[in-house]
Amino acid sequence: MSANDPVLARGRCLCGAVTYAVHGKLREQLSVCHCHMCRRQHGGPGIYTSAPKADVEIDGGGALRWYESSPGIKRGFCAACGSSLFWTADNYANIDIALGSLDSAAGLALSHHIFVAHKGDYYEIAGDLPKYPDNRPEAT
Amino acid sequence: MAEPASGSIRARGRCLCGAVSFTVSGPLRDVVVCHCGQCQRNHGGPGNYTSAAWSDIALSGEDRLRWFQSSAKARRGFCAECGSSLFWEPAGEARVSINVGTLEGPTGLKTVRRIYVAEKPDWDEVYDGLETLPGSMRS
Repeated sequence: MSANDPVLARGRCLCGAVTYAVHGKLREQLSVCHCHMCRRQHGGPGIYTSAPKADVEIDGGGALRWYESSPGIKRGFCAACGSSLFWTADNYANIDIALGSLDSAAGLALSHHIFVAHKGDYYEIAGDLPKYPDNRPEAT
Repeated sequence: MAEPASGSIRARGRCLCGAVSFTVSGPLRDVVVCHCGQCQRNHGGPGNYTSAAWSDIALSGEDRLRWFQSSAKARRGFCAECGSSLFWEPAGEARVSINVGTLEGPTGLKTVRRIYVAEKPDWDEVYDGLETLPGSMRS
């Protein structure tokens, strides 16, 4: 990222304490994660777009907090309002961005479901998008 | 919530890190999915909620539970350690909505309704045939 790169997306938590700008394109394919960790934290499946870490400029406003949910894996949330915002890992070049935090998700579309073997018993997954029992096989 | 719940335990729940946990010793409502703009911002997507009477809920780790007043009508409870969304509490009521994802499975619940679909963004496809309401269940 350079500071001169155009901001192509912006987002914030519910209370507005944490804001971010993305200096590049977001991944257009949205992943829906049904694992119990996402369902616990988000209050529903985790729905994410993604961008390179270097492209994501976060203003945490003193409220952004990271929780290490597995070794090397961190989930970012707003400590003032509890909004679930980010997912990343030490060995991962991107930050995944919780879709609902975006000011606009124009041009993005649901792409596939992951960890469907771990979904809750209280819903079914409708539609004909690809469903993977665990993580998605390495994207080509 | 200070009074211990009585009766048999219907469900157990906890946040992702386990700092906040609870039991429910009464009936749980079936699941309603809320597509409102506030839920989208807070959860990162629609909010999936069951609900129960506060009098049936026994909380542990209440000192780690934070409340955010998200409107004049309601506040949202989350874990200060891991950010998990736990509760949505309408003002002046004896009931609280519970993030169903926090419950240990099997829950025995089913999703019955989608609300505030008038606020859903384009990516949020509603295609499963459940009842949908443009706004709340009370309007």
